[in-house]
Amino acid sequence: MFLKKYLAVIVAFILIAVSLVILSQSLRRPGSPGVVKKLVFEVTAPVERAINSGVGSVSGAWKQYLFLVGLEEENRELRNKIAALQGEVNTYREMSLEGSRLKRVLALEDSTIYPTVAARVVGNEGSSPFRTIMINKGSTDGVKEGLPVISPEGVVGRVIESSWNYSKILLVTDYNSNIDSLVQGSRAQGILQGGGHRLLRLKYVQRTEEVKAGEAVITSGLGGAFPKGLMLGTVVRADKKEPGLFQTIEVVTAVDFSKIEEVLVLQTEKE
Amino acid sequence: MAYYIVLPFFTILLVVLQRTLLDLLFGGRIGVEVSLILVIYAGFHLDVVRGGVLAFLTGFLLDCVSGTIMGLYTFTYVLIFILSYLLSPRIYGERMLFIMGYTFLCVLLEGLFIFAVYWSVYGTDVSQGLLRTYLPQALVAGVLSPAIFALFNRLEVYVHAGEAR
Repeated sequence: MFLKKYLAVIVAFILIAVSLVILSQSLRRPGSPGVVKKLVFEVTAPVERAINSGVGSVSGAWKQYLFLVGLEEENRELRNKIAALQGEVNTYREMSLEGSRLKRVLALEDSTIYPTVAARVVGNEGSSPFRTIMINKGSTDGVKEGLPVISPEGVVGRVIESSWNYSKILLVTDYNSNIDSLVQGSRAQGILQGGGHRLLRLKYVQRTEEVKAGEAVITSGLGGAFPKGLMLGTVVRADKKEPGLFQTIEVVTAVDFSKIEEVLVLQTEKE
Repeated sequence: MAYYIVLPFFTILLVVLQRTLLDLLFGGRIGVEVSLILVIYAGFHLDVVRGGVLAFLTGFLLDCVSGTIMGLYTFTYVLIFILSYLLSPRIYGERMLFIMGYTFLCVLLEGLFIFAVYWSVYGTDVSQGLLRTYLPQALVAGVLSPAIFALFNRLEVYVHAGEAR
């Protein structure tokens, strides 16, 4: 009787309490996902990958045949031949582009002193304010939380969660990303913080430091998360107009995250 | 019982479709948060146990697949469900303008909560990014919500008809 009368209150209380417990535990102990979360990764990542590749094929076919729609009545046979040949050309072109990208990844792999794990990007956040991507390698391939992730252009981010076969990467553009950096020319040190898009802020650089637009920003190696000397981006604005101890420096990332397809995970931690 | 067995698969599919196909509608710039509209619908139409479990599970799955703090969406969705459930006996939830306005406010509330958590826990000001993301998202969700409500209504009728058989 009591249960029926106050069921709504009891259920609401339980749900709020459980969700608050999950939230507070996550804030106190960020990083390693539980078994449930790993299982969710394993289930959702292949579905996401399948949908993304299907959408990509349809989009490519639509762009490929759009031009032919208006001329179909008059030149059907020739258009079919052209479409078939264009399909072959696009396939070879895509293979060639993939080969070029993989060559660059391989060259990058050869140039690093750490063992690496090459991975493909299988999912991204799209319109979400949280900047993360999913890759197709996980703990069974040696990918663990905290490992840095790079591409031929520069630093992509770091691994924040890893299931058995997939991992989530926090991009340098995310609000939670804070990387110890230094400006290559002036050697000014600061913390590079993400802002939700490719324009980042280099914080805590003293006003006495001379930083100019066009200078490269690289990882400082401090903090232990990223090895020293990895390319982060380029200074686009540095001014001292705002009051305070530090100057305002904006940095554009070296990596274009909308086009990223393959990455390398640096295994900087010793087993 | 069948509801609770089917629910995890339904919510996984919804979350994945939301992140892939629906994200393409606006070229990846504005998301269509159908999951939140579902939670609001559940608050108006389902009982507290079924709706509560749906809100909890949807939020939990979104937390798992997105890059945010675990528990953020879970708590937000449960909160919005409870708010909708408490409001449902006091207002007529079928009016189109009300649904649009209420959904708009709920999406903004979600954004506000995320801002509050990031500000209080990390000291990070995410307001610019959130305004850029959540304001258009709230407008889109508001405009689409009556159609999505109608869709969920049909689905609910179909499920109930199946259970009656």
